[in-house]
Amino acid sequence: MKRIMPYPVLTGEVTMTIREARLDDVQLPYSVISEQDRTVVPRPLERDDWEVIRLGVQVRAQRYELDAGPWLSLSFLATASERRTNAHSAVKLMMGQPGEWTGEVEIHRDDHVGRVQVSGQLVATVDGVPGRVIATVNRPWTVDLRPGTTAHRESIDTQWANFAEDSRFSWCKTDPWTVTTTDETATLVLNSGFDGLRAVLESPTAADRATREALAAQIAVDLWSTLFNEAVYHVEGHDWPEGWRGQVLRRMLPDIFPDYSPDDALHEIVNGGTGAIQARVLHAAAKQARMPRSLGGFIRSLRKVGPEDE
Amino acid sequence: MTLDGDHLPPDPEAFGPWLGRQLRRKGVSQSELAAALDVTRAAVSAWITGRATPRVDKIQAIEEFLNLAAGASATRDETPESSGYIAWHHREAHRDGGRELGNAAAFAFDSSLEITAREATQNSLDECHDPTRPVRVRFILHEISGERLRRLQEAIRWDELAPHIEAASDPNEKVGKQKVGRKLAEGLRELQETGKLLLLRIDDYNANGLTGDDYDDGRFAAVVRRQLDSHKLGTAGGSFGLGKATIWGASRFGLVIVNSTLSEPHEGLRERRVIGRIDLPWHQLNGAQYAGPAWLGNRDPSRETAARSWWAGERALDELYLRRASGDPGTSFLIVGAHDPSGEANSLEEMHGALVRGLATNFWASMVAGDGKPPMLEASVEALCDGQVVVAEERVDPYRYEPGRARAIRAFLDGTTVSRLTKSDDVVELAVPLTVPPRKSEKGQAPVEHTAVLLVTPAVEGDPKPNRLVGMRGTRMTVVNRPVTALSLGSTPFQAVLLAGIVGDRKLPADTSAEAFLRAAEPPEHNDWKATEDLVATYARGAATRLREFRQTAFALVRATVKPAESVESGGTPTILRDIVDLEPTPPARTRGYPTVKSATGDVDETGAWRIRVEIKLPERDDPWVLRPVLRFATRSGPKPEGRWAELVAESNCDVNGDILSCAPRERSAVFTGVSDVASHPVAGRMTIVEVDLIRAKEGGR
Repeated sequence: MKRIMPYPVLTGEVTMTIREARLDDVQLPYSVISEQDRTVVPRPLERDDWEVIRLGVQVRAQRYELDAGPWLSLSFLATASERRTNAHSAVKLMMGQPGEWTGEVEIHRDDHVGRVQVSGQLVATVDGVPGRVIATVNRPWTVDLRPGTTAHRESIDTQWANFAEDSRFSWCKTDPWTVTTTDETATLVLNSGFDGLRAVLESPTAADRATREALAAQIAVDLWSTLFNEAVYHVEGHDWPEGWRGQVLRRMLPDIFPDYSPDDALHEIVNGGTGAIQARVLHAAAKQARMPRSLGGFIRSLRKVGPEDE
Repeated sequence: MTLDGDHLPPDPEAFGPWLGRQLRRKGVSQSELAAALDVTRAAVSAWITGRATPRVDKIQAIEEFLNLAAGASATRDETPESSGYIAWHHREAHRDGGRELGNAAAFAFDSSLEITAREATQNSLDECHDPTRPVRVRFILHEISGERLRRLQEAIRWDELAPHIEAASDPNEKVGKQKVGRKLAEGLRELQETGKLLLLRIDDYNANGLTGDDYDDGRFAAVVRRQLDSHKLGTAGGSFGLGKATIWGASRFGLVIVNSTLSEPHEGLRERRVIGRIDLPWHQLNGAQYAGPAWLGNRDPSRETAARSWWAGERALDELYLRRASGDPGTSFLIVGAHDPSGEANSLEEMHGALVRGLATNFWASMVAGDGKPPMLEASVEALCDGQVVVAEERVDPYRYEPGRARAIRAFLDGTTVSRLTKSDDVVELAVPLTVPPRKSEKGQAPVEHTAVLLVTPAVEGDPKPNRLVGMRGTRMTVVNRPVTALSLGSTPFQAVLLAGIVGDRKLPADTSAEAFLRAAEPPEHNDWKATEDLVATYARGAATRLREFRQTAFALVRATVKPAESVESGGTPTILRDIVDLEPTPPARTRGYPTVKSATGDVDETGAWRIRVEIKLPERDDPWVLRPVLRFATRSGPKPEGRWAELVAESNCDVNGDILSCAPRERSAVFTGVSDVASHPVAGRMTIVEVDLIRAKEGGR
């Protein structure tokens, strides 16, 4: 997909930085902001009475390009939007030095429930037409308001539970692991009652490394193939599903249909179903699990210790 | 007064020092002059020390006796043959047959241009003349050839010197097979083959210059005569230490010419004190054996084979490429036949880069100004080729090379540090205690408590090496540079700076003790604080432990500062599973297995229709790719309305059938053009942004 504009636009990057975050006027520690992952996770949101999070935002564009271009009346609009609530808000930032804008983006609790995208667009008057978008922030930020979210990177939750004592897992109490999903989260549940599982997975010794990696790869294959089938079940029409389901599909579809574009691959699944492609699902899951490397290492480690044991 | 003897001296020096120098030059003692003039030796001594001035008739007699032109003493002119005295003076070989095959101090250092820049600049900082102004250092690389080269060779008496260099690198002799000999031979061969010679000039301004006697203790002798003398003065200690060997090490020939403007006069003069020195290994030439080192200067009749510095004229300095840019005191070193001993930087641009890097990584902290005061150091590097600028003079900007750390120092100097991190440019200031044990020589003294300053700030975006702790003393030169490991998951990437010893303007006695203690803990390379022999020998038992505690505390404080507010370990995800449960989008592969739009360009024509040209990138395969190009109108949110094509035309490697495109098999690219159907536009074409997408189609229909 390529965009074509009927007027000149900026070629240089426009970068956005979130410099600080305040929760109802209380300054949050800088560790809630991750520049690298472009996320803000204002964790102490277990409380229900907060109203607004204010983000200190700075935007930079290449000054020489702005000076040379045909754009008039430049202004920068920072946006906060969330797909789930369909809430969109925009705020105009102040220009400090040429090519640099600063301001505050407000996230109101009434408007948002989960992952809020904070981005922005540089607009200008071009050829007499005001308010044209001439650049968009190249890496938008995500403010994650979901309760219980702790990490900056999105991931599948992991939990330990004793399957024998937990009624949720009575149907599979002898299994080493299982997977549970909701619309919001996918969770890998590991059976703490399964003898030795925890010991191997959490073993710090280098000698157990090959075993640990082979076991992790086995868990991963089960996890990803289950998640893929769950996700496909929830695809409606030709739209990508939201949240973890969309991300699982985006990661795995290129391995299942390597010569299809992601959109074509999604259509193919909607039209053709997944019954006939389970072998390919297994392949994509093995790739997510990095199976060849892990299992290869395990087999080599068996060969090494083999002769001594005999 | 001048080597050139072609103009009047700008300011006549005192008669006494002038007379003393003429006597030394002629090899005439004070008593001999006294006898010739029929005065007492005490009278001559009084003239020389400036306690008395001779009568006019005695002055004439002196001029006659010394064979000088009449009136020479009034203008303080030098003997006409004075320039003839400038020559290379080689040290004779040791009588015991001992042979030195290189400079021992040079072997103590890893050698590279970066290290030369570091050691030379460190010396300049230690020799700061007026502490209220910055020390300025300037590095100039200059490659010369042709007549420029010949003129320099004449000025440094190259033809006298070359036979010695050849002898020291003769592969038929044992010495020529050694490391040093091979390096010399390589240097000579390159000079002959290319006809080019690289000069590296290192200047400092607002430094003390090479003061003191030609032989006795002093800065001059420390630099020019003594390889291992670290000329320690007071607490800073170690100026012109072993590091000066790296200046000679940067020359392929071990050849350096020095011009110094002194902060306090010597022989009544300050400017243009010049001497040259070459560090050759032991060699023999024409039956005579030489120890190796030689000096370019005035013959000293009172010491056989030794050479004294001389006061050069302006023109001589131009020929030597050593004319200084201002009258500020300091020293200029001209490294003749400069190279990067590490072999990494070869072109002028690369060497310029290596010098800038050496200055930036070691002295960024000294170059940060704050609190309305100038920085301690200003540094610049430029590169020339036969007088033409190749790389313009670059003033080393600490904020460009060390943005995070420079910000930390700046906040400390300005007093704008905070106690916890809330903003991306906050600098947290913490105290790190250091217990300085008493010296062994101070029995019964109690240990002293020093408080070092630890600064922590979030790393700037794209910092290639975040999460490091840099430690420095009062000189603000980077001593320790270590990664901080065992950080909590989710820690903010950071840069940390530890300021120990003499910190800012506090002037506490404990700071001075800590400065000396840490100085003793540094190896000659000044790149660590550890239990050196010097430390263990000088300080009472427990010194090594105190140092270890100091380092551990600093590292622990850094970890605590950048730790996330709440531990994120709670999920209980075993480390081994972390990667495989990651849901972050993966970057798309660079080569994809399906057709993609490589480029799409277009405009709205006068009828309001979009005219678009699209290049398609095709993965190579035996079957044709059958595609339907889709035109969509971009929206801010919600579904994007699709437009219809009024016309599709194949340009290359494809056929159009209705709105379906069949691309030729085994081709890697295809091009088509299209015109939109204005009736399908949701709004006027000029007000839209369009997107082109490719969808798989079955042959012969949708």
